[in-house]
Amino acid sequence: MSGIIEVRNLSFGYTSRSVVLKDIGFAVPSQTFLVIVGPNGAGKSTLLNLMSGALKPRSGTITIDAAPIESYSVQKLAAKVAVVRQESVPIFGFSVAETVLMARTPYFGAAGFESQADRDIVKDALELTDTAAFASRPLTSLSSGERQRVFIARALAQNSPILLLDEPTSFLDLKHQVGIYDLLKAAQLEKGKTIVAVTHDINLACQYCDEALLLGTDNFHRHGPANEVLSAEQIKDVFDVQIFAGRVGQERFFMPLGKLAKDNRQINAKTGELST
Amino acid sequence: MNKWVWLLLTVSCWMAAGFALCGSRQSQAGKEAIPPALPGRIVSMAPDLTEILFALGLDKEIVGVSQYSDYPPAAREKPRVGSFWQPNIESIVAAKPDLVITLTTTGFDQQKRLAMRLARMGYNNLTVKLEAIAELFEGIKQIGKATGRRHQADEVVCDIRMKLQKLSNLVGAGEKVRVLWVVQREPLRVAGRDTFVNEMIELAGGENAIGPTVHKYPPIGAEQVIASGAEVIIEPDMGQQDLSAQQESAFRYWGKFENLPAATNKRIYVIPGGEVSRLGPRLYEGIETIAKCLRPHLFES
Amino acid sequence: MRAEAMDQLLRPKKLIVTTGLALGVLVIVMVACSLIGSEDISLRTALSNSGVAPGANPDYEILVQFRLPRIILACLVGAALACSGVVFQALLRNPLADPYILGISSGAGLGAMIAVVGGLNWTLWGRSPVAVFAFAGALGTVWLVWFIGRLTGKFHVTGLLLAGVVVNAFFSAVIMFLTSIAKSEQVYSTIFWLMGNMAEEDFLVLWVGAGCVIGGIVALFFISPQLNALSFGADDAKSMGVNIVKTRTTAFAIAAGITAIAVSLSGLIGFVGLIVPHAVRLVFGPDHRLMVPLSGIVGAIFLVIADTLARTTIAPAQLPVGVVTAIVGGPIFLVLLVKHSRKIGWLK
Repeated sequence: MSGIIEVRNLSFGYTSRSVVLKDIGFAVPSQTFLVIVGPNGAGKSTLLNLMSGALKPRSGTITIDAAPIESYSVQKLAAKVAVVRQESVPIFGFSVAETVLMARTPYFGAAGFESQADRDIVKDALELTDTAAFASRPLTSLSSGERQRVFIARALAQNSPILLLDEPTSFLDLKHQVGIYDLLKAAQLEKGKTIVAVTHDINLACQYCDEALLLGTDNFHRHGPANEVLSAEQIKDVFDVQIFAGRVGQERFFMPLGKLAKDNRQINAKTGELST
Repeated sequence: MNKWVWLLLTVSCWMAAGFALCGSRQSQAGKEAIPPALPGRIVSMAPDLTEILFALGLDKEIVGVSQYSDYPPAAREKPRVGSFWQPNIESIVAAKPDLVITLTTTGFDQQKRLAMRLARMGYNNLTVKLEAIAELFEGIKQIGKATGRRHQADEVVCDIRMKLQKLSNLVGAGEKVRVLWVVQREPLRVAGRDTFVNEMIELAGGENAIGPTVHKYPPIGAEQVIASGAEVIIEPDMGQQDLSAQQESAFRYWGKFENLPAATNKRIYVIPGGEVSRLGPRLYEGIETIAKCLRPHLFES
Repeated sequence: MRAEAMDQLLRPKKLIVTTGLALGVLVIVMVACSLIGSEDISLRTALSNSGVAPGANPDYEILVQFRLPRIILACLVGAALACSGVVFQALLRNPLADPYILGISSGAGLGAMIAVVGGLNWTLWGRSPVAVFAFAGALGTVWLVWFIGRLTGKFHVTGLLLAGVVVNAFFSAVIMFLTSIAKSEQVYSTIFWLMGNMAEEDFLVLWVGAGCVIGGIVALFFISPQLNALSFGADDAKSMGVNIVKTRTTAFAIAAGITAIAVSLSGLIGFVGLIVPHAVRLVFGPDHRLMVPLSGIVGAIFLVIADTLARTTIAPAQLPVGVVTAIVGGPIFLVLLVKHSRKIGWLK
C-alpha cells in the first residue's frame, strides 16, 4: 500500500511571530481523493507546500508511507509525490512534450537522454490530459487553461502514487474543469493514486472527492468523509457567508447567498434603503 | 564509471600532458641568437628611438618604425609596424628584422612583453629607457654599440654636451626664472619636478614653479597656479591648430589670471612640441628654445 | 500523429550531428581567419620550408606563432563567455542575463586596477599581474555577491541580482577613485587591458585554459537536463526530483569560473555572453543539452570573426575586441529584444 500521508501536530508560520497553521493533524489513506477547502488566508496552499516538502514545519511531523518526509532524498520524494502548483510563467519556449519530459529527469541515462519507456510515459500523460494535439507547440503559445493541463500531464508523468494539486481548475472552462476532475478520479480509481487537491470550487469537489479537509482561519480544521465535513452549517461557519444547500440526483451543491441575491433582496419602497 | 569521475580524470590527464609538453618544448627551443655586429634591418618601436637611429646615420638600415615617428621627415616614408601603444607584431616579423629596439616606460609593460616575445622567438632586441637626460645619453650610446655606430653615438652625445655647456655659460648663474609648464588646459595639467621636462627647464636656467608633487604630470587648480607665482608660462603645441592661433588662445586663457606675473607681463609662450615632448637628439634645440623664452634679451642678435 | 509529436524531442543523434556540423564550421572559420590579417601571408609559403632560424619564414611564424594562438584564444574566450551566459540566463530565469551581471566585470576591473596602482608584481606562469588579479577579483566578487544574495534568504533570484547591482556600483566607485589617484600611464594601461584584447598567449596558458574551459563546458552539459528543469523555478524543479542545491551550486561555480578565466585571459568582452545564447535559443530551441555545446561553438565562431575584424579593419592598429562585439552585437541585440518581447507577450 503506498500513497499514505499522515500529518501530526503540524504547526507553521512564515515568520517567527506569525502562525498560519496550528496543531493540524489528519491522515490520508492510500488511493483516496481528498480536497482541501477554506477561505483565503486559511493556509491551504501553505499546507500543500508543507505536504510536498517545499516548506519545513515549525513543529509536528509529516510522514509519507510511514517514513518522515525529511528522510526522503529529493529524487525519492519526487518518486512518491508530484505537485501541480498555480500558474507558473514559463521563461523559455519549451514545447509541451519537452516540458512533460522534464518530469522524467531523475531517470535519464548517463548521457542525459530519456529512454523509450520515458517517452511512452510522456505520451500517455499527454493523451490523458488531452494535450497531445499540441505536443510540439511552445508553452508560451498556449492559453492558461491549456498550460494548466500540461503541468498536470507533467505531474502524471512522474508516475508517483501521490498527486498534490493547488487549484488545478482555476483557469479552465467548464468542459475542461470537468475533464480534469474526471482525469484525476480515473487516476485514483484505475491507477490507484492518492489525490489531494486544494480548490475553491466546492461543488465540483463534492462530485468527486472521498474525503475533505475544511481549513478555516483561527486554526480551525475539520477532516473526515466528504458528506460529513462538507455540510451547509460547516461551510457557512468557516466561510462566513450564507449558504443555500441543495441536491440534484446524487450530487450535492452549495450556493453562497449574498445580501443582494434575488432571494434576499427587498428594497424599501419609501426610503430606498435595502433590507434583507 | 561515474561520468564526473571520467571528466575529472580526463581533465587531469590533459593538464599533466600540457605540463609535460611544455617542459619538452622548453628544452628544445631557446637557442640564443648571436646578434650581428652590423644589423642591416632595424625596427624602431618608438618615435624617440627613430630620431636617434636617423641621427646615427642609419637611414637605410631602418625597415620599420612606429606609427607616430614623424622626425626627421624621412621617417614618415618608412613602413609602419603598429604604434608604441599597440605594436603590431605581425608587421614586425614580416619586416624580417635583425634588430628590434623597444622603449620601456614605467607603468606600461606592453613594450617589455613585446621584447620578451621577440626574444623567445629568437629575434634580437634591444630595450632602451629614455626617461631622463642621463638615460638619453646612455641610450644613444647603447644603440650606437648595438648597431656598430659607436663612433657616431659618441659624437652626437659630445656635441649635445658641448652645446649645453656653452648655453649654460651664456645664461650664467643668475636667478632662476620660475616656469609653469602646461601640458593640458582642460583640466589643467602641468609638468612636475619628477620629469625630463623639469631637467630641461633647469638646464635652460629656469625653475619649475610647482613644488614637488606625487604625480609626474599633476592636475592642478587655479589656486595652485596663483600660488606658484610663475614668471613664464610655456605650452608645448598640441598640434591641433597652427602656432599663432594657439598663441592667441593662450593669451586669452591666461589673461584671466590677473595676479600671475606671467600673465600680467604677457610672458606666455607656445613652442613647437617636437623638440620638447620627447627626449631625443634634438635635446639641445629644445633647451635652447626654452632658454629663449626665459631670457629673450640674451638671444637678441 | 503521436509519433510525430515525440519527434520534436532532442535525440542523441541530432545532438551529435548538429554539434559535429558546428565544429566543422568552426574549423573552417579558424583556418580562414588565420589567413587574414594585417600582413598578407600565403598558406603555401608558410608550409613550404618551415625554417628554424627566425626570419627565415615569416609567413610560417606569423601563422603559427601569432595568428593560431590568438585564434585559439578567441575560441576559448568566446566559448566560455557564451556558455556561461546560457547558464546565468537559466539560473537567474532571465533571458537578458549575461556573465557579468553579478559583478564579475567590476570585480575584474578592480583587481586589475589594484594590481597596476599597487605596483604588484606577482605573476603566475608568466601571466601578468594584471591578469592574475583580474581573475582573483572576478572570482572574489562572485563569491561576495553569492554570499550577500544568500543573506536575503533562500536563494531569491531578485536578492542575487540586487546584490550584483550594489556590488557593481560600489566597485565602480572604487575603480574611479583609484583612477583619479593613479598615474596616467597606469590608467591608460589598465583601461586598455580591460577593453578587451587578444594578446597572443603562450603554449601552457592556452593549454591549461583550454582544459578548464572545455572541461567546464562538458560539466555544464552533464547538468543540462537539470538546468532545463530549473528554468521553471526552483520549487517546480525540486518537486520533479532535481537536486536544486547541487545543480545551482555546480552551475554557478563552473559558469563563474570559466568567466573569470575568460576575463583574465582577455579583459572584458561584452555581448558575447548575451547574444550568442539568445541566437542559439531562437534557432535551436531552449533545450540546454543542445544549447550548451552549441552556444560554446557559436560563441567561439563569433569571437574569432570579431577578433579578425578587430585586427584588420584599421590595420596596422587594432580595435579593442570589446568594441567590435559591441558594435556588431548591439544592433543584433536590439533586434533580438524586439522579437523576443513579442514572443513572450510583454505586450499582452
